[in-house]
Amino acid sequence: MNHHFDLSAKVGGLQLQGKAEFGNEIIVVSGENGAGKTSLLRCLAGLQTAQGSMMFKQEVWLDSSANYVLLSRFRGVGCVWTDPALLPWLRVEENIKVAATQVDELWCKPWFEAFEIQALMQRKPHMLSTGEAQRVALVRAICSKPKLLLLDEPFSAQAPAIRQRLRLALQDVQRKLDIPVIMISHDAEDAGYLAQQHWHMRQGRLLSEKTNVSRNKVVSV
Amino acid sequence: MFEALFISLELAIVTTAILLVLAFPLAYVLSFKTFKGRTILEVIVALPLVLPPTVLGYFVLVMIAPDTSLGRAWQAVFDSSLAFSFSGMVMASVLYSLPFAVQPMQQSLRAIPSSWLEMANTQGLDLWQTLKHIILPAAKGGVLVAAALSFAHTMGEFGVVLMVGGSIPGETKVASIALFEFVEMQQQSDAWLLALILLAVSFVMLSLVYTLNRHGPMLGVNK
Repeated sequence: MNHHFDLSAKVGGLQLQGKAEFGNEIIVVSGENGAGKTSLLRCLAGLQTAQGSMMFKQEVWLDSSANYVLLSRFRGVGCVWTDPALLPWLRVEENIKVAATQVDELWCKPWFEAFEIQALMQRKPHMLSTGEAQRVALVRAICSKPKLLLLDEPFSAQAPAIRQRLRLALQDVQRKLDIPVIMISHDAEDAGYLAQQHWHMRQGRLLSEKTNVSRNKVVSV
Repeated sequence: MFEALFISLELAIVTTAILLVLAFPLAYVLSFKTFKGRTILEVIVALPLVLPPTVLGYFVLVMIAPDTSLGRAWQAVFDSSLAFSFSGMVMASVLYSLPFAVQPMQQSLRAIPSSWLEMANTQGLDLWQTLKHIILPAAKGGVLVAAALSFAHTMGEFGVVLMVGGSIPGETKVASIALFEFVEMQQQSDAWLLALILLAVSFVMLSLVYTLNRHGPMLGVNK
């Protein structure tokens, strides 16, 4: 296991508590609304203040005992939240470009196709459906080659027909970058096809359980 | 009369230019940072809104008088007096119009969704890139409104510039003071013309502000 954290945080009225070890794998997080899933991901991204410790590979991201926090900006995480946060005055293409400190076209291009946004490149965000905007936000995060991908229900607005193709593409991203992907999902199929580790949250507490799903279970459709 | 108008125009342009540069960092800090003394800073910025212009003018005059350290420093560097000069008027005008520049900017900065800034943050953009790609384009409308209001407000100044500038013809006598003097000397037709010109300037500027505001605090963000 390459990475671990032991965190606590107070978010609104919720006391968040979580401890886990994970490797470069896909982790699916489930739990009821308000259980703290998004807050946990925000802690990992460094957008939410937390206490405790967090190590990513050999890098310290958080060590409260030494009063040390690595700022989000230097963590290299790719995030997709339920709000896609696309800049309304920029076309899809520019939105992706602007959000990357450097763009490796060779790396980015194939994902435009894999996540089915190549036809949307010239559109402004107000011309996108929720599902399309979600996919653009996902590709934007992938393009900057993140060290960790945090996804908050990334497929929630996708039509069932496209979901399986997106799952395959996401798996491909995870393999090629060899990074952990932590993904919140209420969809049992996401968990079934993708999860190599499964986290469950209840009332702010993280309960981790290993699943024995091999990554080969996803088959092309 | 046209000399006075020209001085007003020059004063308004210089003041607006300085204010845009000065007010943006202030608005930025007031919008995004929490620090000790924040409220004090906000009060100081807003003070010219309620202070009688003559009071503000008086304090500026006292501050820049030739026997103060600021007045002496100015004299040493530029070999001229700051009191009763164009530069002195600019200094006073900048202070006087500060809230008119800071507040619209602050409003448009506060309207930026935090999700955009968090996106910039996790994507690894630094402050400069965030300013250039997100904050400035999003706050463009507020900056334009700030410019229009500062300009119009400076064009219409009376008490402050009279106190600090002293109505020296061809140097510190601005249009609003010239108007006052026309009335005093019963030059009705000149007074009419000048008053109409000043009215037109204010009308145009405010029309601009309301047109910009109709597009919301975030101009260019066509939703």
